Amino acid sequence: MKPFLFCLLFPFLLTACKDSGSGKPKIGVAFETLQTEFWVAGFDAIKKECAAAGYEAVESVADGDANRQLEQVQNLITRKVDGIILVPKDAQTCLPMIKAANDAGIPISLFNRPAAQSEAKSVAVVADNFSLTKETVLYMIGEAKKTGQKHKAMVIMGDLGDMNAIGRRDGFEAAVKEAGAGVVEVVSRVPSEWNQEKAQAGVTNALQANADISFIFTSSDFLLPSIVSALKAAGKYHKAGEPGHVILGGFDGDATAWSMLKDGYLDATGVQDVYFEAKQCVQAIVDLKAGKTPPALIIDAGFVIHRGNMNDKSAQMWGANIRK
Amino acid sequence: MTSPHRCGVRTSGSDPVSESTAAISLKRFRVPENLRGLAACAVLFAIMAATTEGMASVENLRSIGTAAIPLFLLALGQMAVIISGGIDLSVTATMALSSITGAVVMRETGSTAAGVTAMLTVGAAIGLINGAAVAWLRLPPFMVTLTTQMFLSGLAVWAVQSKNIGGISPGFVRIGKEVGIAAGIAVVCGLLGHVLLRKSVWGRQLFATGFNAEAARFSGLPVPWVRVRSYIAGGLLAAAAAVILTARLETGSPVLGQRMLLDVIGAAVLGGVSLHGGRGHVLWVLGGALFFSVLDNALNLRGLSHFKIMMAKGGVLLAAAALDAWRSKTS
Repeated sequence: MKPFLFCLLFPFLLTACKDSGSGKPKIGVAFETLQTEFWVAGFDAIKKECAAAGYEAVESVADGDANRQLEQVQNLITRKVDGIILVPKDAQTCLPMIKAANDAGIPISLFNRPAAQSEAKSVAVVADNFSLTKETVLYMIGEAKKTGQKHKAMVIMGDLGDMNAIGRRDGFEAAVKEAGAGVVEVVSRVPSEWNQEKAQAGVTNALQANADISFIFTSSDFLLPSIVSALKAAGKYHKAGEPGHVILGGFDGDATAWSMLKDGYLDATGVQDVYFEAKQCVQAIVDLKAGKTPPALIIDAGFVIHRGNMNDKSAQMWGANIRK
Repeated sequence: MTSPHRCGVRTSGSDPVSESTAAISLKRFRVPENLRGLAACAVLFAIMAATTEGMASVENLRSIGTAAIPLFLLALGQMAVIISGGIDLSVTATMALSSITGAVVMRETGSTAAGVTAMLTVGAAIGLINGAAVAWLRLPPFMVTLTTQMFLSGLAVWAVQSKNIGGISPGFVRIGKEVGIAAGIAVVCGLLGHVLLRKSVWGRQLFATGFNAEAARFSGLPVPWVRVRSYIAGGLLAAAAAVILTARLETGSPVLGQRMLLDVIGAAVLGGVSLHGGRGHVLWVLGGALFFSVLDNALNLRGLSHFKIMMAKGGVLLAAAALDAWRSKTS
């Protein structure tokens, strides 16, 4: 019977170190995952914004499981939180969560990922993935033009069930199309499903099949370590200005990207303004509670950071701030 | 043949002369073995309800029920496989493939019945493949089901290009929305499972096979078929869980339940199903699934961080493994 007693005792002991309630009104913050720097930075920014607005943030993380996230949202509703900020796994599976919050009369905003079209009501704060990616890739194409050579390109795509990944893929393709076939020819499209191991394997295979790839765009900066590893293995990891430099760009603006940008390995990245998105998500809850009607979609325009403007823009880049 | 003790029926056992008076008086209050998991769950719930706001509310009980039902179905299927001496690591991939198959069929035909039939067929077919590889090709269950898990996960994502399948019929969505329907499915599966395990020839053969496959074979039992049927049962129950989860999310997902595997095995083992085979009971699995769901729910309600919840569940799983080892030593 002793192991059974342990089963009972263990959670009971953990409850003793329960996070103490502050007595403040609560906003439930339901993240799909906290496994990348971007989400951790977003979570920290949301907590700060909640505190600034007089709310306590109540955390739940679904570890990539949409069904678990639905259960967690139902738990938040049971706790009668004053609002919910949701970071959904994808556009479809979040719809029952939004409907559950709607039915309970709890305002809900979506951080960084929008929901699919439906009757469910929410406020989504998202980066303009298409435009920001297009702008970033056009900058990279400008750098490519300066070399006077035609470049073979690779794009690393995210999980195509994620609207953000689709927007970034489409932004990349639009920039390449706009630049014309004379500068960049896309020879490899690597699906990563937001998985570093898959990205590394895909990039390695693509570099073996097309050893002359000299232009790479990744749909998220968190995949940069995988790309760097594959480039090093292929002997193609060189700073800008050095012979054999691969023009490299990304999206997000994380600490790795900032470090690589400073060191000269990264040419540009599209930075999502985490602070703006966090502030708008909390403000949407406050407005909805006050009976106001914020727009259903709030766009974070973001900005492109590159070696030419990095000193001016670094203060706005969340990845640069978390390294300081 | 299987000893009564290993099948979950307690024997009178030890010498009373060697027991202390306190131990004897404690024995008077001993909960019947089949109800120990549920009793532990009730104690956990009572502790948490007394110390956690909202734990005993009707809405929260509904939340616990909705979380426990698919886990119970999955653990029930896992139990059938584990009793036979195997293990099924492919249940989450089975769910994912069932989910997208059913969603596509429903989107194309608009028929809930056709969608559910397709999902159950996929589950049974995967169970048959796993069972055939284990029983007739004599491949290790761990490797077979790990391989099918990898293959089917890839197949599910590739088939729909990572996209979720929406547009599911409203009739199907009711299965996930109304707890009563899902609970009805769980009760029917549980009762059927109990009857099959305890009253049918196959059930007795299953325990005998898991307890000692060689002895069962020498006794003339159709060991390969017994094992194949256990994997088919596991596949069918994984598909039944997929029906409920797909309906709840209103979406066919190629990654449905991909993080649930440890919860499934944990719930089965915590309930008392022996990883060594030959031992299991429907009520034990029910207790294990409810225990996990109550624990998860309570720690969430208490505002513990994701990482502390993971630590708590890991600790409970460790305890479950210790419990299994302790039972094996003492039986």
